[in-house]
Amino acid sequence: MSTPLLEVEDLTTTFSTDNGDLTAVDGVDFAVDEGETVCIVGESGSGKTVATESITRIVKEPPGRVEGTVRFKGRDLMSMSDEELRQIRGNGIAHIFQNPQEAMNHCYTVGWQIAEALQIHQDVSNEAARARAVDLLDKVGIANASARFDDYPHEFSGGQKQRVMIAMALVGDPDLLIADEPTTALDVTVQAQILKLLDELQDEFDMGILFVTHDLGVVAQIADRIVVMYAGKVMERGGVLDIFEHPAHPYTQQLLNCVPEIGGNEGGIPGTLPSPYDPPDGCRFAPRCSYAEQACRTGGQPEEREVSSSQRVSCIHYRDDRDPSMLRESIPGAEQGSNEVSSADD
Amino acid sequence: MTDEPILSVRDLKKHYPIRKGIFNRQVGAAKAVDGISFDIAPGETLGLVGESGCGKSTAASSVIRLEEPTAGEVVFNGNGRGGASHNPDGTNPNDVTNYSDAELKRFRRGAQMIFQDPASSFDPRMTVGGAVAEMLEIHGMSDRHRRRAIVEDLLERVGLAAEDYDRYPHEFSGGQKQRIALARALVLNPDLIIADEPVSALDVSIQAEILSLIDDLQAEFDLSMLFISHDMSVIRRICDRVAVMYLGEIVEVGPTDEIFADPQHPYTEALLSSIPTPDPRSSVGGIELTGTVPSPTNPPSGCRFHTRCHRVIQPDGIDIDQSDWRGILNFRDRVAAGQVDIESIRENIVVEGGAASDNDVREQLRKEFDIGDRIDDSGVEETLAEAIDRLLDRDNEGASELLSERFSTPCAETAPKRTVHSEGHESSCLRHESEQAAASNPADD
Repeated sequence: MSTPLLEVEDLTTTFSTDNGDLTAVDGVDFAVDEGETVCIVGESGSGKTVATESITRIVKEPPGRVEGTVRFKGRDLMSMSDEELRQIRGNGIAHIFQNPQEAMNHCYTVGWQIAEALQIHQDVSNEAARARAVDLLDKVGIANASARFDDYPHEFSGGQKQRVMIAMALVGDPDLLIADEPTTALDVTVQAQILKLLDELQDEFDMGILFVTHDLGVVAQIADRIVVMYAGKVMERGGVLDIFEHPAHPYTQQLLNCVPEIGGNEGGIPGTLPSPYDPPDGCRFAPRCSYAEQACRTGGQPEEREVSSSQRVSCIHYRDDRDPSMLRESIPGAEQGSNEVSSADD
Repeated sequence: MTDEPILSVRDLKKHYPIRKGIFNRQVGAAKAVDGISFDIAPGETLGLVGESGCGKSTAASSVIRLEEPTAGEVVFNGNGRGGASHNPDGTNPNDVTNYSDAELKRFRRGAQMIFQDPASSFDPRMTVGGAVAEMLEIHGMSDRHRRRAIVEDLLERVGLAAEDYDRYPHEFSGGQKQRIALARALVLNPDLIIADEPVSALDVSIQAEILSLIDDLQAEFDLSMLFISHDMSVIRRICDRVAVMYLGEIVEVGPTDEIFADPQHPYTEALLSSIPTPDPRSSVGGIELTGTVPSPTNPPSGCRFHTRCHRVIQPDGIDIDQSDWRGILNFRDRVAAGQVDIESIRENIVVEGGAASDNDVREQLRKEFDIGDRIDDSGVEETLAEAIDRLLDRDNEGASELLSERFSTPCAETAPKRTVHSEGHESSCLRHESEQAAASNPADD
């Protein structure tokens, strides 16, 4: 197998706060191949956003501290100087964020802002930068791009602003696009447009996309592979069909059950996320897990076990000496009086 | 329905005036809500769904009179004031829009509201128990100990602990705060709750928790609810009936199952098809709505959805592929708005060895607007080709004139009336009107 586009190993991000050290991301591994879409899924507070921001180290340091290995096309990002890293950001790896409103400067025209991003990375004339910006605006589906170039952000709707953000991300022909909840703030109709656009652009530019979201409907539509995070740790990873059709980790199973179209778990997942200041011993999900035993509550997060060639899970019930089928048979939602759950898992 | 509805809204309007100049002359109005009508039966949940900017939140705050409605009638029969008869001048004695301050205060005991963002709806310097108990105090319960006992009991019923009474809002998570907001809405024992996107700010797992709590409480307290959301999957879980709003109007209303299984209005259809399904094997073959909601200051004539509708009607004498027709109308509108810039299209076409020819531009234009290479109807094809030629000759006005003269849709001329599909399921679409007319006069042909 060739080297993946992005390789993240043992990524740990801590923040020093007045209340002590907060470990937002705790030893996380994942990889993204060329032209592939990987989704990081988890509740708010699971560390998914911090994990992606740690890749290009745009988390604030201090108070943040990023450790681990991040390799982009084989080059180690962690040992890079700020200047080298700046060349990667925007050129090799581009970010788009949830709230396009906050990511733009409302005092400048959108065209100027796209051209600026271009001129930071490439030595081009103003005219050439303008032409390229218009070209990009056109590419992301802004009608009448050359006239809209001189409009200010407030003259665009939410969906159009997100299109502009995508145009801005594309200036450096990035190999990897990190999209952090890019459609969460948008209406479903606009969300469908943006997802379609990302898909088209991915084909055209052959980009890898690392997509962060908590919306499992979106994940099902766009992901090739999924990484499920909980409280700073990876619970499970696998292909999109593996995760949706054979969720292995009790957390993933419960998360899927919370989706109205899939599960009958109407009560949500009982309990709350553990405190990031003082995470529990053993599996992070154990305090909320109905299958937790004494062995789940000691030591560290269980080692990842292979469920199939494309799916791995961090749960002791998948150890060689255990029988994981008990997890399949009695998914928690079923106990609460719903029969649809088990059929959804077949 | 034999039961009298608990809330009955008729032709409710809320227009925000737009003023200009030193005399603050009113030059127009943003018609956020423009004549909506619906009923809510006792114990029923009605969902109000639509894209942002369609006026659903304004509708809610006008119903409860947080904002003064411009026109319309909101009849509320809560608090045993049922048996609505009319005053001599034709108004209804239970019309919320005519309530005096004292009556309004009494009305608010019977109808409560829950907001989207639980974090900003609590005073950070007041204990949550205090915030809930304040409601009782305002409405005349002077016994401090009784207030505390009631609130503690209620906190337990929404899944918190009695000891939480003395804690402050920042000590609670988003989901817990929304539980407190529920307690606050319930403390006066209302008959109606208006919930404005109550779970949109929450995670899926917490969303499910709060929704099932709302379900339980509704049964326990026998509540009626107006539930506003842009999230169709949430609506599907909680609502008995759904009203779909577009640009200040209700375009379709009906029982939840029917709306989801058999949407009648093209907008509902498009809205449903754009929900990403949590099934990786299903493909996203949805109907794509182009553009955004038009401005409510100057809504489109006729059916307000006709500018984006994928089923927009072709006039008599034209019978071409529907997607070509939509493309032609989009082209017409963009030319009329002066937004088709031939030169920039020409620049953007990359041709090997020199500039793009007129034919390349023609092709590109058709591609951009999703119009087929050749349209079967020769009359339509000729007009379209002629219009494009005029554009190439830099005669924008001529092209625009030709297009709007030749291509028009009945949808832009006639505002559709309500069509009843089955008991309680109605929609406003011209297609159904003509279908029904045809069905009732089969001998006309």
